[in-house]
Amino acid sequence: MTLVELNHVSKSFSKGDETITPLDDVSLQIDAGEFVSLMGPSGTGKSTLLNLVSGIDRPDSGTIHVDGTEITGLSRSKLADWRAANLGYIFQTHNLIPVLTAYENVELPTLLLPLSSAQRRDRVQLALEAVGLVDRAEHYPRQLSGGQEQRVGIARAIVAHPKVVVADEPTGSLDTETSQQIQVLLQRLNQELNITLLMVTHDADVAAIASRQLLLDHGRFLESNGAPQSDNNKASLSS
Amino acid sequence: MLLPWEYGVRNLARRPVRTALTLVALATVVMLVFVVVGFIRGLEKSLAVSGDPQVVLVYSVNAEQNIENSSIAARTPDLLTASLDGVQKRFGVTHVSPEMYLGTRIKTRDGDAGLGLVRGVTRTAPLVRRGVKIVAGSWPGPGQVLVGRLAYAKLGSRSESLTIGQTVEFEGKTWTISGLFVAGGAAYESEIWCNLAEFQTATKRQDISLAAILMAPGASASRVQLFCKERTDLELRAIVETDYYAALQQHYKPVRLLAWFVVVLVSSAGIFAGLNMMYGAVAGRVREIATLQAIGFRRRAVLLSLVQEGLLLSAAASLLSGFIALVLLNGMAVRFTMGAFTLRIDSVAILVGCGVGLALGILGALPPALKALRASVAISLKAV
Ligand SMILES: Nc1ncnc2c1ncn2[C@@H]1O[C@H](COP(=O)(O)OP(=O)(O)O)[C@@H](O)[C@H]1O
Ligand SMILES: [Mg+2]
Repeated sequence: MTLVELNHVSKSFSKGDETITPLDDVSLQIDAGEFVSLMGPSGTGKSTLLNLVSGIDRPDSGTIHVDGTEITGLSRSKLADWRAANLGYIFQTHNLIPVLTAYENVELPTLLLPLSSAQRRDRVQLALEAVGLVDRAEHYPRQLSGGQEQRVGIARAIVAHPKVVVADEPTGSLDTETSQQIQVLLQRLNQELNITLLMVTHDADVAAIASRQLLLDHGRFLESNGAPQSDNNKASLSS
Repeated sequence: MLLPWEYGVRNLARRPVRTALTLVALATVVMLVFVVVGFIRGLEKSLAVSGDPQVVLVYSVNAEQNIENSSIAARTPDLLTASLDGVQKRFGVTHVSPEMYLGTRIKTRDGDAGLGLVRGVTRTAPLVRRGVKIVAGSWPGPGQVLVGRLAYAKLGSRSESLTIGQTVEFEGKTWTISGLFVAGGAAYESEIWCNLAEFQTATKRQDISLAAILMAPGASASRVQLFCKERTDLELRAIVETDYYAALQQHYKPVRLLAWFVVVLVSSAGIFAGLNMMYGAVAGRVREIATLQAIGFRRRAVLLSLVQEGLLLSAAASLLSGFIALVLLNGMAVRFTMGAFTLRIDSVAILVGCGVGLALGILGALPPALKALRASVAISLKAV
């Protein structure tokens, strides 16, 4: 089942006189339960793509559907509500709220959902268990290591049971060992909790953990090798 | 949905020094507002309670509105008693009070000297001036004076220098204080009362300033006014005491307007304290604010949280100042041209002071919050 669908999406930015077009008429389909990695040189528009999929930014043309909802047609406040219920965002710099504890950081997205406080507690508990940080729940971000902070960031991204989780270089600011732990964790989330993941990375080793690997180059996708994909899951090279 | 309350509270503790400085600045502004509003309210209250609607003041037409300049013949009170119906009379005493009212230099034993207000009165004065109560000591005998609760403030002296048994000097004579009186906040509280005949001797005058008449219940002041109009030869004017003080209220209107203007000025200055703090607070949190939006918080929720932060601080400042104002400012005596009165931190003053305080928090937080929320989330997420 196709969960995320980009159709002929273009996005350009103007910096002074020159116009940069990181995404030029790209189309992409991601199935539910897939773990897709996206590689590409710096400045090719990987983050831009994630921002479009998560409704943080809007394409200049083309449409984006997530689970049947055309998010490109939603107003800004509707998009915020949609993100709360359907999308998890893992940041390279984890972006935890420094004045909130690990528990409270993970709890944040659940405040936007119609849950009882008991349900909310359970969700947060489960998310913290999933990332193995139950014993750090009452710690503030500054009391955590970089890897632990990123795990809290991941728990926060999955706590609302989103349809899709995007990750922008989630291991980008971690040492090799910690990065490996995070990779294992992401793989487990995908395999055990069946979370659909779209992950940007510039590290080929990290990209390799995904079930499908894409390369973004000059505004187009190139499918690189990976687990066998059915035809209709392939990024189409529109021409 | 809103952000958790703790978010705003803990953010204030994030930069404790800056928060504390802002708290002090906001509290100072609110305190200044309390002082000015307390002044206005005290002045208004003093003038409002001074008038008695049953009392008619009869004084010279030549004095215009200023009774201090009035001079009428000493026999006027007797003439009024004989000619008028409707004057209150009990146990054979007609309630007419001849009075000589004078601003004069008064020296206390401590050597403090200031312009004080002296009223020469007779035994009928407390019958007509019904608000006056002797709270300590007794009615002045020869060479003695009765001192109002705020007379010390009018003299610019301390209350200890005007206690019973102490002496004061005025009009070339030394007087001993025999008692203290209050008048429910009325203007007479800043006066010194002595025996009329003695005061006349001391000032070498035979005239009086005015006659205050207490009308019997149901009797109209217009009879007195009619009498004064018809007997043009006496050159008298009659005014109901409440009207007299209402006119004074009008007279002080520019002062009150100026005071309100000061409130506005001080408050506008205070907004900068709030703005400064909130701009600083928000500037360092660009990525965090974008993250909250990325998670799914609407802009309005983030805005409210930031305003809540400013509001929390300004509420604390208002509370602090309100408490200090009630304990220290309320009832503090102020010297003023017409006499002395006390600062009044009443419900209006509290409302205005705290209202200004809270407004400072909101207005200080709004511009930086709006600025942060106008920025694109995608760009702000990359901010360092
Ligand atoms: N909001 C923006 N305004 C202008 N240019 C932008 C903006 N966002 C991204 N760009 C430009 O678009 C290109 C792609 O950016 P990005 O998607 O962040 O690349 P990356 O693949 O490294 O994540 C870069 O050249 C970047 O400078
Ligand atoms: Mg990027």
